[in-house]
Amino acid sequence: MNTIARSIKSAPRETRAIRRVHVRWLIMLAVACGAIVVFFPFLWMAVTSLKTAPEIQRVPLQIAPDHWLNLSNYVEVFKREPFMRYLLNSAIVASIAAVSSVVVSSLAGFGFAKYQFPGRDVLFLAVVGILMVPFQSVVVPLYVWMNDLGLLDTYAGIVAPDLVSVFGVFLMRNAIETIPNDYIDAARIDGASELRIFFLVILPSVKPAIATLLIIKFMWSWNEFFWPMVVISSPLMKVVTMGLMSFTNMYFIEYNLLTAAAVISILPILLIFITLQRWVVQAVVMSGLKG
Amino acid sequence: MRQWFRIAFPKNYLDRRKRAGFLFVLPALLFFGSVFILPLAQSIMYSFYKIAPGGAKEFVGLRLYEKVLTDSTFWTAVGNTVQLLLFSVPTTVILALAVALGLNRITSLKWRNLWASMYFLPFATSLVAAALIWQWIYDPIYGFLNYALSFVGIPPQKWLQSLAQVRPAIAAVSVWVRIGFDTMIFLAALQSIPEEYYEAANIDGASAIQRLRYITLPLLNSQIIMVCILELIFNFKIFDQVYATTQGGPAGASQTIIGLLYDTAFKFFRFGDASVMAVFVFVTLMLVTLLQWRLFRKPVEY
Repeated sequence: MNTIARSIKSAPRETRAIRRVHVRWLIMLAVACGAIVVFFPFLWMAVTSLKTAPEIQRVPLQIAPDHWLNLSNYVEVFKREPFMRYLLNSAIVASIAAVSSVVVSSLAGFGFAKYQFPGRDVLFLAVVGILMVPFQSVVVPLYVWMNDLGLLDTYAGIVAPDLVSVFGVFLMRNAIETIPNDYIDAARIDGASELRIFFLVILPSVKPAIATLLIIKFMWSWNEFFWPMVVISSPLMKVVTMGLMSFTNMYFIEYNLLTAAAVISILPILLIFITLQRWVVQAVVMSGLKG
Repeated sequence: MRQWFRIAFPKNYLDRRKRAGFLFVLPALLFFGSVFILPLAQSIMYSFYKIAPGGAKEFVGLRLYEKVLTDSTFWTAVGNTVQLLLFSVPTTVILALAVALGLNRITSLKWRNLWASMYFLPFATSLVAAALIWQWIYDPIYGFLNYALSFVGIPPQKWLQSLAQVRPAIAAVSVWVRIGFDTMIFLAALQSIPEEYYEAANIDGASAIQRLRYITLPLLNSQIIMVCILELIFNFKIFDQVYATTQGGPAGASQTIIGLLYDTAFKFFRFGDASVMAVFVFVTLMLVTLLQWRLFRKPVEY
């Protein structure tokens, strides 16, 4: 009697527990399916890049390429366009932007975080206020300037508006703020100059923030399209995003070539991204939590 | 003023230190001043001048505003942009929230990280590459999407070449690119919610939906508002995806504000008209940002 009563009593609890396990699996399944859908375009791009032109025009569509090791599209991309040059241009511009951003932002971050000069808070607020100015609103005067300075179609011209970002200053200020003032004072007592403190005390203690900024800024500059479109006109100065576009300027877009070029353009950034994802996520969360 | 003079010509150690601090921020200030503030002022100035191709300027008052703001192509572009963001902003935010809630329930750290990084991957891709991959998927004849839809009996659609479908199709690309970014923000916020709240709710017998409604969503309130605003700004400035694929077509059905600004300035070299649009974009986004600051003043406290 007693055992029956107990089993009756415990039955709903058990089914509830089972249901909870089921729900957990359902959630896992839904998340996984979504992830696969999101990932699919990458897969499709890679698969297409291995097909020949007649293959991609087959009806009905055939998913797998005839030869999984057909790399002729990749060879053709470099033959058809100076794609190596595009990659190089992007790499140069993105590296300069990333490094300059780290240098200027960490200096500014140090100044804003650890010094008391008149007008500091107002100036910092003004810097944050810059976030409200969309780049597209200043692009015409910037173009005129670049024209006047003779910087159209040069690396300097492409990289100029990208040298520092508000995000960087913000990130570095927040990171430097957490360094105890005692460290700085100790260095001062030892007779270090302010600049020496910056290099020997500040920079080594904010390595994670520096890594984050380097990666994010490199990524942003590499993916930049609007401004390069404005300043660049000669074929050899094109950056990689513009290089991709040169495979679309035909009556019939050869998607087998285009996807191969897209793979080449995405791959460097994706590799950096996957290996250093922790830092990128940190930056995103930080930009998110702070606005 | 006196203070500034003392810092410019420091006599004692403390003033010298203040000067060092100011000198540290100076490069950044000069940069922002010359790349954002000065050009912005110039943009506003240009919007009152008629500029001949040779460079001769003529003050015309509000005539350019009158011209641009009564032009139907301008308002079509504004309408298209608004439609695009009405498609993409709610979709991105709701999907990202759902994904973050799902990811948050996965206990295995390894799996959670794997799925999360798959959602995050498109964020690293350039918008140009993203849009071109999607253009291939959307291809009316050889594209994968029509192929997949044929299994559920849906006839081939024209997607980017259709007047009605081009905007949702481009909006979907934006959703794809942005979903991971928003998911990360939500996930970080979810993980900062103390487990005790849920335990207390469980003791009180709250259902899963009640926990979502009364604990999770109120605590995510500020992140949700912020993500909405970020998406609003991002999608309002949409350019790359459109320019790489339809270039505003078919028949102007996907022309956006920034696209029109670009064409006006760098195809037709009408800097004055383009500056009016630049001022319009600036003012609109400033209002949006100010709205954000207003809304942010009301965080949920527990």
